[in-house]
Parts: sequence; C-alpha cells; structure tokens
Amino acid sequence: MAVIEIERQMLPMLGSPNQGARFYNPDLPQTEPFVPGHRTCAGCGPSIQYRMTSKASGDNTILVGPTGCMYVANSSYLCTPYNVPWAHTQIGSAGSFTAGVAAAYEAMIRKGKWKGAFPNIICEAGDGSASDIGLASISGALYRDHDCLIICYDNEQYANTGIQASSRTPYGGMTTFSPPGPMVPEAKKLFPKDLARMMAAGHPHCYVATATVGYPIDLMNKVRKGLNHKGAAFLMIYTPCQKGFVYETPRSIDLGRLVVECGLYPIWEWNHEAREYDYSFRPQHMRPVSEYLKLQGRFGHLHAEHIAKLQKFANEQWRMMGVEVPEALVRATNPETIADMASAEAAAAVAHTV
Amino acid sequence: MATASMAKKTVRINGCVASAQAAKYSDVDVITAYPIRPYTATMMALAQMVANGELDAEYIVADSEHSQLSIAHGAASSGARVFTGSSGVGVHYAYELYSPISGSRMPVQMMIADRTLDPPGDFGSEHTDALATRDMGWLMGWSCDAQEAFDNHLIAYRIGEDPRVLLPQMVCQDGFFVSHITTDVALPDSGQVKEFLPPYKHPYPLDPRHPVSHGPQIMPEQGPPLQLERARAMEGAMTVIEEAHEEFARVFGRRYDPWIEEFMTDGADVVFFMQGGHAVTARHAIRHMRERGAKVGLVRLRTIRPYPTDRVMASLSRFKVVGVVETNMGLGSVSSGGSLYAEACAALYESDKRPLVLSFMAGMGGEAIVLKEFYWMTNKLLEAQKRGKIEKRTHWVGFEE
Repeated sequence: MAVIEIERQMLPMLGSPNQGARFYNPDLPQTEPFVPGHRTCAGCGPSIQYRMTSKASGDNTILVGPTGCMYVANSSYLCTPYNVPWAHTQIGSAGSFTAGVAAAYEAMIRKGKWKGAFPNIICEAGDGSASDIGLASISGALYRDHDCLIICYDNEQYANTGIQASSRTPYGGMTTFSPPGPMVPEAKKLFPKDLARMMAAGHPHCYVATATVGYPIDLMNKVRKGLNHKGAAFLMIYTPCQKGFVYETPRSIDLGRLVVECGLYPIWEWNHEAREYDYSFRPQHMRPVSEYLKLQGRFGHLHAEHIAKLQKFANEQWRMMGVEVPEALVRATNPETIADMASAEAAAAVAHTV
Repeated sequence: MATASMAKKTVRINGCVASAQAAKYSDVDVITAYPIRPYTATMMALAQMVANGELDAEYIVADSEHSQLSIAHGAASSGARVFTGSSGVGVHYAYELYSPISGSRMPVQMMIADRTLDPPGDFGSEHTDALATRDMGWLMGWSCDAQEAFDNHLIAYRIGEDPRVLLPQMVCQDGFFVSHITTDVALPDSGQVKEFLPPYKHPYPLDPRHPVSHGPQIMPEQGPPLQLERARAMEGAMTVIEEAHEEFARVFGRRYDPWIEEFMTDGADVVFFMQGGHAVTARHAIRHMRERGAKVGLVRLRTIRPYPTDRVMASLSRFKVVGVVETNMGLGSVSSGGSLYAEACAALYESDKRPLVLSFMAGMGGEAIVLKEFYWMTNKLLEAQKRGKIEKRTHWVGFEE
C-alpha cells in the first residue's frame, strides 16, 4: 500500500523587534479568521489575543473552544465570529477534544480519506479550563504529542461566570469567590499555579512558551512556532479582563506590558531540543509591582504588607530569569516604604470605586 | 491493510473480542481507550490489531473516560469513524459528554460491557451503568451473545451514520455473561461489510475548506427547535433501523427483529420481559417449564432507544402476566425496583388488554440468574395469573420464599 506523505505547513516568522508593536507592520497577515461583530466586552484581552492568534495561524485552521468567555461571548445566539471551522467543547475537554481533531486528521490523511495540508489545530482554553478542570485533558494531549497548539488565554479568573477565583488568580486578587473582608484582608490568599512551567516540566518534548497581548509580534511568532512544531505545543497568554480586573478600558495593552515590566508575568520559551528555558526576552523597563496593581480595582483593597509580599514574589521571578534585581525593587519589599492601595495617591480612580 | 480482504470464517471468541473484530471490520479511524473491566478486553484486542498492522487507526490511550469521549467527539466532528467503550463507573465518568455528542449529531460508537456501579464495587454485570444514560440521545440496545454483539456493532454504525439519523450509539452487552464467554462467531467476508456499511461522511465536519461552527450558544427561544430536531432524529431512526436490519439479513443471511425477540410465546399466558445475556438462561428455563406444562415465554427487548412503544404494547398485550427481569437499579422508582418496569408499563397504558406486570430484581451485583430462579419467578407469574392480581409490584429474587 502506498504511503501517503502528510504535508505540514511551515509559517514564516514575523520580522519585527518584540518591543515595537504600535506601528504598522507590513508583514502582518491580511486575513481575519476572527471577524468583528462578537459580543465580548470593550477592551477584552482574550478576544484581542484571539484575533492575533488566528491572524498568525491563517485560514487553514480549526479552532476548538472549551466553555469560557471565548465560547459564551463569541458564539451567542447561534452567531459566531469564526471564519474558520470552530467547535465548542466542554470546559474539561480542552485537550481531549483537540486531540480527537488532530488524531482524526492524522488517520484520515494517512488513509487517503482527506486530501490537503495538515490543518493548524488550535484550542483556546481559558485559565479555568486549562489550570483547573481541563488540566488532565491538556496534559494528556501534550503527553501524547498530538500535532496541535493548546493556548491558555489567561485572564486569571473564571470571568464568564461572573468573576470567580481560578488557580491562576494572583495573590491579593479580588473575585466573587475570593472577596476581601476583615478575616481575609488580602482577598485571595494563595499564589497562582505555575501552569506553563508545569506543562514544560511535565512534557519536555513540547514547545511551551508564555506571552502577553502587550507584545503582539512576539505573541504571533510564538503561535507560529507552536504550530510549526511537529507535535504538541502549549502557549500561556496573559489577557487582561476589564470586567474582572476593573481598569480603564483602553489600557488592556498597557497592562499586558506592565505585568511583564513589574516581574509578575515572566516571558519565556521552553527550548525542547536543549531542554532548557530561554529567558532572553527583556522588557524595556523594570518597575515596582505597585505600578501594575494601582491601575486595577481588583487590588484596591491591598495593604502595604500585601503589596510587599507581591513585590517579593516578583523579585523571585526576576531572579529565576537570571535578572539582577535593582536596589529600588529590593527596597520595595519593605512594607514601611509602601502606601496602602486605598490611600495611594497614584492609584487610579477605579481602585477607589470598588 | 487488513480490511482490504478478509475471508468468511467462524472463530471461537468472547463478546469483547467480537466487538473488537466488528470495529476492525468497520475500518474505524480513531479508537480511544481507557482501562476498566470488563470491556478492557475489547481495547486490548484492538491494540494488538493496530500493533500487528491488521487495522490502520489512531489508537489513543486517554487519561480518563471523560477524555475518551471528548476525543471521540472531536474526532467524529472532524469526519473520522470513531470507536470507544467503557464499563460501570467509567460509563458515568464520561456522562457529561453524552448530550453534547448526540446534540452535535456525531455518530460516535461506544461499546458497553456492563458492570455494577459502586457500591458494591464488584466486577459483575448490572445494566444500570448504560441505562442511566438512556435519555441522552444515544441509540441503545443489548446483545445477548457474542455473535449478536458483532452484528449489532455493524448495524449500529450503519444506522447512526445514516444522514437521516446522525446519532451516537451504545452497543451494550452484559459484562462477563457475554463479554467473557467464548462462543462461535461467524466473521463475514470483508466485501460483505463494504456492501453493507458505506464510508462515514458527516455533512458538516470541521474542515478548513468549508468552515462551520459547531455548538454555539443559543437564546432560550432557539432551544425548542434544536431539541425538537434531536427528538425527530431519534423518532426518524425507527424506519432506518428497520431498513438496516432488513439489509443486514440480505447481505449476511442472519435476520434479527430490530425491536424484540419472542421465544416460545405461542400460547403463552405469562412472559418474561428482559434485555441482554440472561435471556440465554431464560430460554433454557422456559423450555424446561414448558415441558412441565407451564405456558411461559420470553419477550426480549433488543433496542431500548428509540423505544419501540407500539411493538412492546402489541406484544405484551397478548399475555396475562408479564414479569420484568430488571438487572438494573431504579432506587425509589415507580416500582421501587428497576427502571425497566416503568418502560413496560408505560407502553401498556394505552392498551385495551393490559396484562398484570411484576418486577423481578434479579442478577443484581452481577450475580448469575440461575435456572432455579427462573422457575421461582415463573411460579410467581402463574400465581398472579391464577389470583387475577399481583401480590406486590417488586420481588427481590432470592430474598423471598
């Protein structure tokens, strides 16, 4: 029996420095597999990410959408914004449904039942799906190395259900399941699950990386690297949620940069060939965490000691990446040098409204 | 590949292997496995077939039954023919997926070898595992031996993949009593299977050349038409089921009534109404009882979803007493016994000549229902006939004099 060669796509990298993003880039694909007209909130980080991701992957793409914002807000009332095939699946089925699609194409192409290049198969799972209920299903897909890209669009909470804590919600983050009160002044007491590193450590043969909507070219190139990788890839993307973070709508991209500049969202790639992390991505600035926190109502209740704790956490992240922590950031771990969020002069108006 | 040419032959295999053979003959594209006894033996056999190169399929060891069914859902949505299966609590671990799969009209096939739920955590066969999912939009029926299991898998693919139906199928067999009992099974010529089972072609798969969206959210008022469509698919399947069985008889020479099997019902006053492998014992018991003059017969339900209401009514109305042999738990249900009682009684409600109906809790925990117990149950039915009314709705067999 003749062996059918499976044709796989190789998408080119976009040539642009990862820092620059606010200028016209002629390399950007014209295609819009994620069209306007959906019902997500103004400034929605996940949908900005969705547009970038699908632009990078192009039209030969199949999208899988486990339950979450990008299912509910995008596909309401039998209308969807997808110009490529898309399927809803259960919130716990992110990795498994996607694996099924990939396996079907492997078999159908091999058996001559479907002709064409192997499609880009992308799963868009929220952090609730990826870090909680669907964790095992994603781990299974990565472990078995299906040719697909699983994205966790990380808005650090269950947003579509009305802002509940997930295991990605940061320390100090207020949600309806982690409200602040006299007994729990910091609101969320736990630090987030380090999902992307779990995925890299547990599935070292996979391409794994982190990104944020603050750096679109970097994000799109990582999508393409994940798709070009023969086998499974996992990408965790910071996508701010205006409704849950409580910030001024136009600042989504700013937050996507500040979270990196403040050391709260390390950007890295897992080099599966060398089996090591690549920490060469450097933001333009390094800032204290308060610069990031003060823009968001969800942190408006934090006391100086809580902010200091988060600064300590951020400094550890910098050190993990091999970055020397400047003296000013070391000093910022001392609560006596910090103002409570509620009385901080610099805090945005939104921080006082919650 | 294997499916290219296989000659007709008779082999001695158990129900699990018969199911695996059926999957092979159906040239499935994607298989998703997760171990749980007793159905595991089916997946073991398929793993070996794939390893030997007898079957070209993606064989995926899932991380749970939930993932197993989700993988199956994704693969069927992309246009692949999918085979999966489970037993007992595994069937329930995947419960979330049953409605989405039938709702998206994906003809996934699932082999069930029944196992008792926990507790009592034993390996025995009870139908509760699959029966609990009976209203989720899956075609469902029980086989009573390995040959019938093999045949039912082929027939179910043909029905489920028919563009007029497009529904998933649970092809059930009793754990151990069918799954692990070795009998002669006639395997067909692969040309016969090709003639009977056309290639799977879903009208709207996830194909980048023809973009579609599967499963978007709806407004409440968009719900009724969608649910009605799924209900109509189930009702519409009845014609297709009959056609498929007719066609099966033509191609393979084995004829099954798609809905019920009647055994020694001529002149019978009382009958057993049941599903699955215990019917084999029941046939022997009935033959013995008939020799002693008891006018007893058997009505075996072969397809429970869609439920052949009119056929059940027409059949059971001919008798004076019906004894439902449950082999499933319906705790606190209509009869406070099993769930099959309500299915039988509801079908009889519109009948002019309603028989008395009793429910027997037998084979619970996967215990064999032995001949002696069928004799005992027959006596209960005959007593009810003589008395003209039932003593009580539910008898726990083995716990009464």
